[in-house]
Amino acid sequence: MDAVTYPDSKVVSFISENLIPLQVQFDAQPLASDFNIKWTPTVITLDADGREHHRTVGFLAPDELIPSLLLGMGKSCFENERLDEALSYLEKVLADYPKSDSAPEAHYLRGVCRFKSTHDPKLLKEAYEKLREEYPSSAWTKRAYPYRLL
Amino acid sequence: MGDKIKWESSMDSALARARSEKKHVLLDFFNPG
Repeated sequence: MDAVTYPDSKVVSFISENLIPLQVQFDAQPLASDFNIKWTPTVITLDADGREHHRTVGFLAPDELIPSLLLGMGKSCFENERLDEALSYLEKVLADYPKSDSAPEAHYLRGVCRFKSTHDPKLLKEAYEKLREEYPSSAWTKRAYPYRLL
Repeated sequence: MGDKIKWESSMDSALARARSEKKHVLLDFFNPG
């Protein structure tokens, strides 16, 4: 990550504008134990109270790290019931990084946020249909499978 | 905006900045090799 992804100009800009970056050695205590670190690189998205919302283990190229961080911020907002903000992060994943590994989960979570905002179950069905169409082999398509019946 | 990421090295300072700038924290655990 330090050799390839973090020096990338798009990554530098994105992180500088959107996040507070904190880098610690894998064995630094108490954080390594607090976060149960077993392998590197491990990248975690925290909210401003230090709560974890998203984690990846292993190398991510620039075009995977940025959508993963957007997804992490979206999940943080979702888990803090800030659905409009969550939707804005998730929409950005889908608009700018639709081929990324983060996109199917963003699609799924966008459907959930839209449902929770409106209580319209058709939005969950719509999420499943989009997932089936665009990411037929994704685990998130399988997780949305029951929504086809709504 | 610079040409390198300006990493924080302590959780306390990262969270203080996150609260003040209303941002999330990217926490990267690395192995210096």
